[in-house]
Amino acid sequence: MRVVIAEDNTLLREGVARLLGEAGFEVVATVEDASALLEEVAARRPDVAVVDIRLPPTRTDEGLRAAQEIRRAHPSTGVLVLSQYVRVSYTVELLGGGARGLGYLLKDRVSDLAEFAAAVRQVGRGGSAFDPIVVDQLVGRRAHEGDSLHTLTDRERAVLALMAEGRTNQAIAERLVIAERTVEKHCTSIFAKLGLPARADDHRRVLAVLRYLNA
Amino acid sequence: MSIVAGAGFVVAGLVAWRSRSGRLGFLLAAEGVLWTLYQVPLPVPPEVAAVTVGAWPALLAHLVMAFPGGRLGSRTSRAVVALGYACVVVMGLRHLAGPGACAVIRDVGTAVLVFVGVSVIVLQARRLRGSSVARRRLLTPVLVAAVVATALFVVWKPVAVAGGSAPVLALAVQVAFAAVGLAFLWSLVRRRMDRGGVAGLVVRLSGEPHPATLQTALAETLHDPTLRVGYWVPESEGYLDVGGRPVLPEPGQVVTEVDRDGPLAVLAHDPALLDNPELIQAACAAASLALENERLTAELRVRLRQLADSRAQVVRAAEAERRRLERDLHDGVQQRLLAIPLTLSLAEAALTSGPERVRPLIGEARETAFAALDEVRALAQGIHPPILTERGLVGAVQELAAVAPVPVAISSDVAGELPVEVETTAYYVVAEALANLAKHAAADRASVSISRAGGRLSVAVSDNGRGGADPERGSGLRGLAGRVETNGGSLRVRSLPGQGTRIEAMLPCA
Repeated sequence: MRVVIAEDNTLLREGVARLLGEAGFEVVATVEDASALLEEVAARRPDVAVVDIRLPPTRTDEGLRAAQEIRRAHPSTGVLVLSQYVRVSYTVELLGGGARGLGYLLKDRVSDLAEFAAAVRQVGRGGSAFDPIVVDQLVGRRAHEGDSLHTLTDRERAVLALMAEGRTNQAIAERLVIAERTVEKHCTSIFAKLGLPARADDHRRVLAVLRYLNA
Repeated sequence: MSIVAGAGFVVAGLVAWRSRSGRLGFLLAAEGVLWTLYQVPLPVPPEVAAVTVGAWPALLAHLVMAFPGGRLGSRTSRAVVALGYACVVVMGLRHLAGPGACAVIRDVGTAVLVFVGVSVIVLQARRLRGSSVARRRLLTPVLVAAVVATALFVVWKPVAVAGGSAPVLALAVQVAFAAVGLAFLWSLVRRRMDRGGVAGLVVRLSGEPHPATLQTALAETLHDPTLRVGYWVPESEGYLDVGGRPVLPEPGQVVTEVDRDGPLAVLAHDPALLDNPELIQAACAAASLALENERLTAELRVRLRQLADSRAQVVRAAEAERRRLERDLHDGVQQRLLAIPLTLSLAEAALTSGPERVRPLIGEARETAFAALDEVRALAQGIHPPILTERGLVGAVQELAAVAPVPVAISSDVAGELPVEVETTAYYVVAEALANLAKHAAADRASVSISRAGGRLSVAVSDNGRGGADPERGSGLRGLAGRVETNGGSLRVRSLPGQGTRIEAMLPCA
């Protein structure tokens, strides 16, 4: 799987490149700013672009805008956005273009090599990967009594959170140490309780769940 | 001589009556008439004359005690006056009793008369001594003349009653009596002249409009050196002097409010001025334009002082904040960062001594690094919200709305760049308002509107919750008001119980 990395901090850029190299990815380019990123993506058509939100020259949200540009111009390239801070509104903006091939993670996740590599792979395959903290915040703001989230059981809520992170049924089953059949049953129940139409493919499911949470 | 004295009282009575002091005018005129008639032989039985025209000394005592209002104030004064009248009646009718009883009545009555006279002297001397400057100015001529006249009367009367002759003393009583009448006349005429002084006030105020002069000019026109002027300042909902201090009546003072399409100013002054209400009204009317000007100046001063106060508050807060940051960095981040190489050294040593301990040690180092990272993030958020750097005000407010517990509708109309401090202040207004909403409001909808017009940025946060937020009690809202004022803006909180809360900040941004 071919990866481009955009990160202005040298240490972090080289660190991420080394980690992904060790995990079996082919890092085809590392760049420092948004315009170089767009050039490399156009030239090399990687499977995934790993993009820091703050990039030179203004270090505001250039990475985010570049990410959206890539999703518009090169739909076959997945985009994994890395951020120093959790931003629900950024997630929502990115989701405007669908959840296919999209990831949004806190930079902390990079240090957990296995999880990070799994997220990059997921995004590269057209799936989704959202930071648990983003999902926590979305679920947390619906914490008041009377919300339909309260009709879910604890187990169902855990499944919902993992779905929102973009995990497949198989990954959810592994994480919760339950059978995949059981996960499927939970999913059906959750969708029925929340009044969401059941979705076959994972990224549409993520989108439905995140949109529901953000409503 | 006696005709002149009587006429003096009658004229004083007319003046008093013209000045709407009818009761005093009646007493003065009656005294003038009684006195004049007392001087001529009347075609009536002596007893009738004695209890009618002979009542002039009692009426004089009544008059002096009732000056200037026309009413007897204290119970003591009423008792003394009543005793005076009773004495006149009993003395006048004493011849109707037997000769023996007559002599007794005469002696006792004379003693009582002397007692009444002395009481009048003592009471008036005490009254004069306990009076304020403004009141003394009014009372002095009348009371001094009255005390002298009473003293002479008290000496002359027993001699006269005893049938003795003291022509010098009798003349002195007549002269003193005439002086009392003239003193009344003088006091009343001067009161009218004071109103004429208002014209001088108008001239003076049009010449030199200065706050201290206005108070001095009013004090002089109203002849009350204790007078103080307070100007209505809507922000404080109270009357403040030119130094910005609240004006409250001091003990023994009363207040007169001056209105001109709403509250304008207040005068704290001597209650004696209320004896002459037309004078105060005329002076206030004459000074109202100058008062309006001064009120605006006073309001401006209050604003400046608020600004200085909030500046000082912000400087203090910034200092405290720096100290807190230093402590947080020292206690938190530094200690954790130190622990990381230490743990890694332990892991390095464990490579040879006990390889099974290496993994948990590395895990520990990583956790410590994350903890340090969390702390640095929290510190950064406290110094300057990073999202403002990334997205500007509207983007930052969208993020606040995205994590708010209720749906937040945002409308924004902000063209062009905003000054950093305005942006930061506006952000904290929304952040604090939404945080309060989450904690207290029990709302299910909120809206944020941001608009820029006429060199001002308006930031308003409304909800449909239970209301009742009190900016005086919540330290969050108070701190917010301080922050807004430091930027030259104003914060308004409208939060009636059951009607939701609306917090609006107006910030200047040219």
